[in-house]
Order: sequence, then C-alpha cells, then structure tokens
Amino acid sequence: MKITFPHIGDAHLIGRIFFTEIGIDIITPHANTEKGLEKGSEVSPDEICLPFKLMLSNLMEAYKLGADTVIMPATMGPCRLGEYGELLKSILDRKGYSFQWVLLDSPNSIGKQELLRRLANVVSGSNKSLPGILTALIRTYKIIEKLEKLEQKAHILAGYEKKKGECKKVLTSCRRDLAQASGISQALKIIRHHRCQLGEITFDFNKKPLHILVTGEIFSMIEPFANHHIEELLMDMSVSFEKRVTLRWWIRRTILRSTNLKGSINLKKKRLPYDIGGYAKETVEDGELCVEKGYDGVIQLFPVGCMPEIVAKAVFSKMMKEREVSILTVIYDEMGGEAGYITRIEAFIDMLNRRKSLEQKKKREIYNRKVKGKTHVLSGH
Amino acid sequence: MKIGIPGGLLYYKYEPFIRTFFNEMGVDTEYSVKSNKEILDLGIRNCVDEACLPMKLFHGHTAKLQNTCDFTAAPRLMNCEFGESICPKFHGLPELISAGTGKSNQLFTEPIYLNDQKKLKKVLKKNCRCIGVPDVKIDKAYQYAMENQRNTSFGIKDSGYRHRVFLAGHPYNIYDSFANLNLLQKLHNLDIGVVTEERVCRNEKLKAMAGLIKRPYWLFFIHNFAPAISLMQRKEIDGIVYVSSFCCGTDSITIEMIKNRAAGFPVLVLKLDEQTGEAGYNTRLEAFREVL
Repeated sequence: MKITFPHIGDAHLIGRIFFTEIGIDIITPHANTEKGLEKGSEVSPDEICLPFKLMLSNLMEAYKLGADTVIMPATMGPCRLGEYGELLKSILDRKGYSFQWVLLDSPNSIGKQELLRRLANVVSGSNKSLPGILTALIRTYKIIEKLEKLEQKAHILAGYEKKKGECKKVLTSCRRDLAQASGISQALKIIRHHRCQLGEITFDFNKKPLHILVTGEIFSMIEPFANHHIEELLMDMSVSFEKRVTLRWWIRRTILRSTNLKGSINLKKKRLPYDIGGYAKETVEDGELCVEKGYDGVIQLFPVGCMPEIVAKAVFSKMMKEREVSILTVIYDEMGGEAGYITRIEAFIDMLNRRKSLEQKKKREIYNRKVKGKTHVLSGH
Repeated sequence: MKIGIPGGLLYYKYEPFIRTFFNEMGVDTEYSVKSNKEILDLGIRNCVDEACLPMKLFHGHTAKLQNTCDFTAAPRLMNCEFGESICPKFHGLPELISAGTGKSNQLFTEPIYLNDQKKLKKVLKKNCRCIGVPDVKIDKAYQYAMENQRNTSFGIKDSGYRHRVFLAGHPYNIYDSFANLNLLQKLHNLDIGVVTEERVCRNEKLKAMAGLIKRPYWLFFIHNFAPAISLMQRKEIDGIVYVSSFCCGTDSITIEMIKNRAAGFPVLVLKLDEQTGEAGYNTRLEAFREVL
C-alpha cells in the first residue's frame, strides 16, 4: 500500500516524516505549479473552488508516481470540503485513476468505531506496534507545534530585522532541511537548530513596523501556491504579521470538536455568533480582534466562490463602514495574474504605513501641545 | 406593528407553514410581491457582490419591505427536516442582510433546526413574544401551520406531453418565474413536460444514493442527485434540465456528480445570473428539444 494525500501547506513534509517513521510507503506529489493547476482545471467542474482543482492535479500526479491509496479529511459541514472526496473519486474513477479511498470523516457522522477501523486500515502495513505508532503520532504533533512556533516568531520578527530577508532565509532553509529529514528525532533537531539561527539575527526593536492579521479560508492561508506566496511577500515588505488559522489549530479544533472535549477556543462574538461552516466565524473574530488589540489592518484571503467567506466579507464591509478598520479582501482564482495581487497588497500596505505615520505625528503634536501648554495635566494635578 | 415576509429562497418550500402561522396569530404581515426587475436592481445594490442570484433577489425583497415594515424575517436556517444542511449563506443570512441593507431589524435570527421541533418552537416563541403575541396563540398557530404544511402537496408531474424531463434545481430557482425567465411555460410550449424532485419518494432517493462512499449532507444534493439517478434508472424521463444559479457552491458538485453518472443521457444545465438575456436561453432550450 502506497499512501498519498493532497498538498496543504506543510502537511506533506510532516506526513512524510510520520509515515516513514512507522514504515509505510508514502508518495509526495511535487509542489503545486501552474502546469499542475491547468491540468486539474481541465477535468474539474468550472465553478468549484481553487483547492479542489489543485488537489485533483496532486492526486493525478501521485497516481503516476505509484500511489494507490488516498487519505482525505472530510467534514459534515455545509462547506464544500466535505463533498470533495466524493467528487474526487467520481472524477478520478472516470479518468481511469483507480485509487483506494480512506475518508477521515468526523465521528458524529460515521461513528467512532468506523473511524477507528479506517485509521487502523491506514496503519495496517506498519512494522511498529500500536504504542509505537501512537508515540510517533504524538511526536509528530510536536513537530507541527514547534515548526509553527518558529514560523510565528519569524513572521513577527520580520518587521524588526536590520538586514532584510534573514527571517525568510531561515524559514526557507528549515523547510528544505525538513524535506530531507529521515526521522522524527532528526526533524526536531532541525527545527531546534533553526530556532537558534533565528535568535542570532540582529534586530532593531526601535522600529515601528506594521502589525497586521492575515485571515481567511484555511487552504488559501496555509498553501503558499494558492495565495501566491503572500507570506514571503509580506516579509519582504518588512511587515510583521500573524495568523491564527494554521495546520496545528485545525488539527486541535477538529479533534476537540469531534470528541466533545472542553478547551476548544470558543469566543462568542456578536458580529457572527454562530458557526456557519468553513472558517467564516474565525475570520470575523479576527476582524474584531484587530479592533480590540490594535492591529493596523487585516488581509482576508479566499478562493473565488468560497461560500462561508462571502458571508464574512459582507460582515467586514459593514465593519469598515462603522469603524476604523482597514480590511483588504483578496480573492484568488486559477488565473495567475500575480502582478495584480502584488500591486493591491503593496498599495494596501502603503496606505496603512502612511496612516500609521500620520497618527504618530498627530499623537506627537498633541503630546507636545500638552507638554508646552498644560504641564499639570500630565503630572496629574 | 408590521412584519415583512420576503418571498425568496426557501419561502417557496415552506409557504403553507409561514402563511398559516402568521394568519392564525393575527399578526399584521406584508408579503412581498413576485420578483421583478425593480426588486432585482434593489438586491444588486444592497448585496455583497460575490453572492448568487437568489441571494440578491432575497436582499431585494427585504430592502423593499423595509420601507413599509417594522420588522423583516431573515431566518437562520441551519438544518432541514432530516438533518440535511443547506448552503453556508443560509446560515449567515441575518448577517448578510444586516450588512447589505444597513438595517438590523431582522426577526428569527436564532439558529433554526427543522429536524428538532422543540427547538424550532422555542425560537418561534421567543421571536413572537417580541412582537407581542401570547404563548397560547403561538401554540395553536404552530399546530395548524404544521398540519397545513404536511397536507399540502408540492411538486409538478406533467403528463400528456411528448417528452418528459426531470427539472432539477433549487426550489427558489424552479418556482420563481422571474429568476428562471418563465422556464416552465417555455418548456410546456416546446411540448416538454416536467417532473420535480418532490414527486420522488424518500425511499427511492435513499436507494439511489447507495453507491456513494459518504452520506451526503446537503439538502440540494440529496434532492437533485438522488431523484435524477432514480428516475433515470426507472426510465421515466427522457432528459434532465438543471436550473442553477451562477457561482452556486453546492450545484458545482451536484451537477458534476450527475453528469458523471449520466453517460450519454441528455443533460441541460441552465445558469441563471443578473443578466436577463433571453434569446440565448431560448435557443438552448430549443436545441435541447432537438436532442430529445
């Protein structure tokens, strides 16, 4: 049995390490390219969202490389992700790619036993015992956690670096090394090594870079090809940014939701108080956080036609009318047109920069006036 | 106090319930007129650009009613009778409406689960209390409304025409003659009769979905895919006409699934959008008849 799964962010790096550790063959399709996307679009329906087209091309490539079993996560939500597996199977069968399918559905739709049976089926070819597999699983989760912490740190520090591009270099080399790692221990070592490297970079903490939140649909957020490498773009522009929706967050949320464990992050905000499928609720929460915690702006990403994010966009447009929040919505489709996206993002960042400097100037003026005129106001008398 | 009921989206499916419920309570209500050009224009102006045609029409209805009514209904429908979910835009309908039209006087914005009658009643009660209806009246009205909804028969099954097709699509596209440019009349003129999904019973639908690797969860997936397969197997139809709105998320999957199963079977997909170009539409229908 040769396992494969579609690309989503760094999942292929981590999945490869995990399955090699427990002794199961895994085929990783090449990273997403324009050509792959074209091939995927050819056979998929016109109006389906971008992730589907990319996943289809990944799977077709994996089949040619010799894979025979696909693992697909699925939900019972109203979002289209839940039906991806069904449609992928239908299209691939028709085209003559006969895979075996393992759908990792949520337990409340297929039952816990069925889910466990499917998982057992996946790891049946392993040469390790059950405790060994579980240990490997936990340590893999650790890799994800450490890697994402490193990423988060690099993203924030990118705004403060003295010599541009050093944080980006660390992340790129970390990913490159992880792709070659032979086991979990080595992977952890690699991450530790790069964390040290990040510490050695010199930073200028007197700088006042922009702090923005990147939010939106999960696939566009964590798959660099789908968002035209927006992370690198922002790091190049010396913007320090954060994102809440990551692979680890998704795993945590899915497991906690399906097992009804407490501890899931459940902020009940008034803008969109109910879960409407996909990650629209989280997107809107991010918008509200931006106001509360004083971020400079929000960038919302989603592929064209994404149903939940359209609702989020509507809520955002209302927020923009009412309050001083700056939100840029970037909608991706299978047309390349990278220059257009970059221009829009650059213009947005420029606008935020100018606004920030104006605000600081105003603050300084008010401060000066107060210091010169009424000193007693400041000293509290 | 006046309540506006926009005649869009699933109003077409639950019309008997809604009408009886408000009539029995004796609340002053205003039903919106049939969709027309003015409503569509209002909708386009008040709605987020990426939304689909039925959503825009619903916004139009609401915007028009807001001029004369104190409240408008914008139900947050989460699940249907058998626990099927609908499109995420239905889940966020109150947010979409209040963001689009800029007014937040919506009623029934709590989540409504039609598969859980207790919860449904609770939501209805809570909202009706706001407009000053006593509990006793609500109970009675609810009972009558439920009965009325159950006893009304829906759907179309024509006979006596030369061909018969399965008219697939969402109820608000099939029954809104403005949105679908009078499709039913046009089909009848071409000597084509139609069957809709309501005339296929649930058991047959379940049987038709047996070959899937996952239990489908969308209402519109179940209501279009399963009858299409079932009717095709029983050879009761000569073709399938699918009316779908442009950029519809659920349809992009449903249509592809039907097409994959229906190798060689005539399938016509009509996309509806704000452009009302009728000539191209007619030509395609005529061409489809030739295929039949």
